[in-house]
Amino acid sequence: MFTYTIKRLLQSLIVVWAAVTLMFALFFIIPGDPISLKSGEKALPQEILDNIEKKYGLDKPTYVQYFRFFGNLFRGDLGYSYKNDKSVNSILSDGLSTSARLLFWGALFQLIIALAVGLTSAIKRGSLGDRIGTVFSVGVQGIPVFVSGLLAQYLFGVLPFQLGWDWLNFFKPWPQTWAFGIFPTESIKGIILPALVVAVVDAAFIARMLRSSLLEVLRADYIRTAFAKGLSARRVWMHHALRNALIPVVTVYGTSLIAIFGVAVQTEKIFSLPGMGSTIADSALSQDAPVVLGLSIVVISFGAFVNLIVDLSYALIDPRIKIESKAVH
Amino acid sequence: MKLQTLGKRSAAVLAALALAVGGNVVVAHAAAPAYIDCQLFGAGEPDFIDPALTSTLVGANVATMLFDGLTDTDAAGNLYGEVASKWSTKDGAKTWTFTLKKNLKFSNGEPVLPSSFITGWKRAFAESMASEVAYHSYFIAGMEAYNTGKGAFPTSSVIADDKAMTLVVKMVDPTADFPSIVGHSVFSPVPTTMAAATAKVETDGTKLVGNGPFMLDKAITKRAGGEVVIVPNPNYGGKASLLSKVTFKISTDVNAAYNAFASGQCDNGPIPAGRYAELLGKWGTKGVKTTLGTDYWGFNYEDPIVGGTKNKYLRSAISKAIDRNQISDVIYQGVRKPASGLLPPGLPGYKSGQGLTSTRDLVGAQADYKRWLALGNKTPAPIRLSYNDGAGWDKVASIIIANLKDVGIPAKLDPYPADGTYFSKMRKGQGQMIRAGWFADYAIADNFLFPLLHSKSIGGDNLERYSSPSFDALINSARSSTNKSFAESQYRRAEVQALKNDVVITQTVNRGIAAVLAASTSSFPITPLGMIVFDQIVKN
Repeated sequence: MFTYTIKRLLQSLIVVWAAVTLMFALFFIIPGDPISLKSGEKALPQEILDNIEKKYGLDKPTYVQYFRFFGNLFRGDLGYSYKNDKSVNSILSDGLSTSARLLFWGALFQLIIALAVGLTSAIKRGSLGDRIGTVFSVGVQGIPVFVSGLLAQYLFGVLPFQLGWDWLNFFKPWPQTWAFGIFPTESIKGIILPALVVAVVDAAFIARMLRSSLLEVLRADYIRTAFAKGLSARRVWMHHALRNALIPVVTVYGTSLIAIFGVAVQTEKIFSLPGMGSTIADSALSQDAPVVLGLSIVVISFGAFVNLIVDLSYALIDPRIKIESKAVH
Repeated sequence: MKLQTLGKRSAAVLAALALAVGGNVVVAHAAAPAYIDCQLFGAGEPDFIDPALTSTLVGANVATMLFDGLTDTDAAGNLYGEVASKWSTKDGAKTWTFTLKKNLKFSNGEPVLPSSFITGWKRAFAESMASEVAYHSYFIAGMEAYNTGKGAFPTSSVIADDKAMTLVVKMVDPTADFPSIVGHSVFSPVPTTMAAATAKVETDGTKLVGNGPFMLDKAITKRAGGEVVIVPNPNYGGKASLLSKVTFKISTDVNAAYNAFASGQCDNGPIPAGRYAELLGKWGTKGVKTTLGTDYWGFNYEDPIVGGTKNKYLRSAISKAIDRNQISDVIYQGVRKPASGLLPPGLPGYKSGQGLTSTRDLVGAQADYKRWLALGNKTPAPIRLSYNDGAGWDKVASIIIANLKDVGIPAKLDPYPADGTYFSKMRKGQGQMIRAGWFADYAIADNFLFPLLHSKSIGGDNLERYSSPSFDALINSARSSTNKSFAESQYRRAEVQALKNDVVITQTVNRGIAAVLAASTSSFPITPLGMIVFDQIVKN
């Protein structure tokens, strides 16, 4: 397990390096450059453009910029934004906490919704609850985030405010103070809408996955045997059926965690949360290479980390699965 | 900022407060309301709020709340002394002497002196700062060399006398409008504690110290919780703010910013595109103001079809065919009004009707097009209407194409990708009919006519590559004259020459600002330069 983990970590480092190198190259291939972008409707004199180029080292050859970027990276310095001179490290530290909180609450809501809908649909197969769950699954999955986000803002913000129903107004500012880094010390209302928007996109899919996985497991001989032995239905469901049904679900959930990172990007923009998502989107448009590269390192590393955790968790859920170093080959 | 447009009610409140504290106009901040703004940064984070660096209107708006310059423009469009009590020139606008008000202080208690401006200018125009707006200093002798690292700070051109409270500034060429130019936020003074502050000062609000009506409330000023917070400056020498705090919420989506306003999170909000009529009808028009900006379409003067003197009738036919009312009504729902010239209303010396026409003249357009054909020209290949994609200009261009079709002039859309390369390509003469617009840096005619049409601006903002010795002569004589009425008449003649005689550009609409306001906001002053005067906002 240890050797396997180390090897996977090394592989992840290579993936991060290759991805960042590719992105670095892309910034020099795509049309336009961050300096000419600064000359918009009003032209900047060449003297001003030269000053800006010199300040960010963009007057140096590409390979010098490349090695300097990685040199700084090894020292933990991700550089400075071309847009507002802010340190990418501080942009990360500002944005990462918000994104991590949104991701945590989104993932938690997603798990709760998926388990509730998936279990209900499987246990009460063919019932009204199962049908509602199916409609819910199909319905919400196809809605783009910018639609569901704005719709949620209107239904649970604008409309209740205009009707004077403040109890239904869940469109509130994102909390400013947190306990243990995760729990808001102010009203929790500010996190509910964005977290739900993040959650519902894949929750439906995971719920359907859980349902079909459970139904398949329930047909297995050992479940029948468990019932025949006289075990309670609750024990069979929770201890035998659910645990085995979770393996494919965990795989999907891991992939979904990476996917909801993408959803979180859009959600942060729609809800104007000061996270990394909105920064990535804005920086990409303005070709702010240091910010995009810095944030990409985090996103790619996150993806690699989640994949590793998912692989390792198989062994924890099902002791029959053992990861050995030679299995890698 | 100077108190100019207070309503009677708020003036009475101020007077009562003044009496209560023994004649000094001091507002009890604890009793004053706080204000939450979702409009200013409704479309994203500002580039900077440091006056030395910001190149955006929204960033400069906050900067002007934190810093007072020598002069400024009030809500009525008049130039007034902010830190300067008076200014004069004795050598035909080649040297300007500003006399500063006494006893003004920065928010840290340090006095505002003539040398504070030198400290500020040394910092703002240093090569290492790489300020995008440093070029505004190039009017001052020796400042371009300083900014490009080719010379030391021009101490012989900027001379401060802290005892006499005077600041003497020498120009490269006679510059009659320098008192207006120096009102730009990049010319702000800074205290000695900020002399060595780099561009990174904004991450530590305790170091961004100004002399304006407000100061930063938090040490970390940007993206911390997605907001910028300013509070009244206790050492401010002017009229105190009527608000106890202003919180600028940073939004990354205009629709979300509006929804935040509509759900009660803020006192004002932006208007998403296409919803002006609906939302201004719902919330009222107190937040609407026409500003010093004009949208227009230019003709590439070097293009064989639309350029040069021989194609003047084609250009005039196009100009007369455009339905500016339709553009104003359909696209901007009345917030941007039809323009009648390049210079916008509210600019000193403004005169309406300087363009070829402000209303659609279909008969005149058809007659001019026939004249052009009669000169031996054939129906041209569709004229390209070039614009930067993704900003809604395709809708304006589509209206113009339909307008031209009525005259029989073929035209087509010519979108350029939204990657920032549009203007650089237009500057190289690639366009035929070129979408452009201009917003004033300072309220002077020269700020439009020189960069947009003077031959020295070819390769810069003179996208049409228009070169006319007579036009240049008019501008040169105007910018060096201290005779205000003569200068204004020269600028007007130049505008007529370019728009009516040569038809180099055809204006469409004047720009405007629009925000929706909560009912509790009874006064929301906006200057013609598009600056919201937050210290004068009256909230009940």
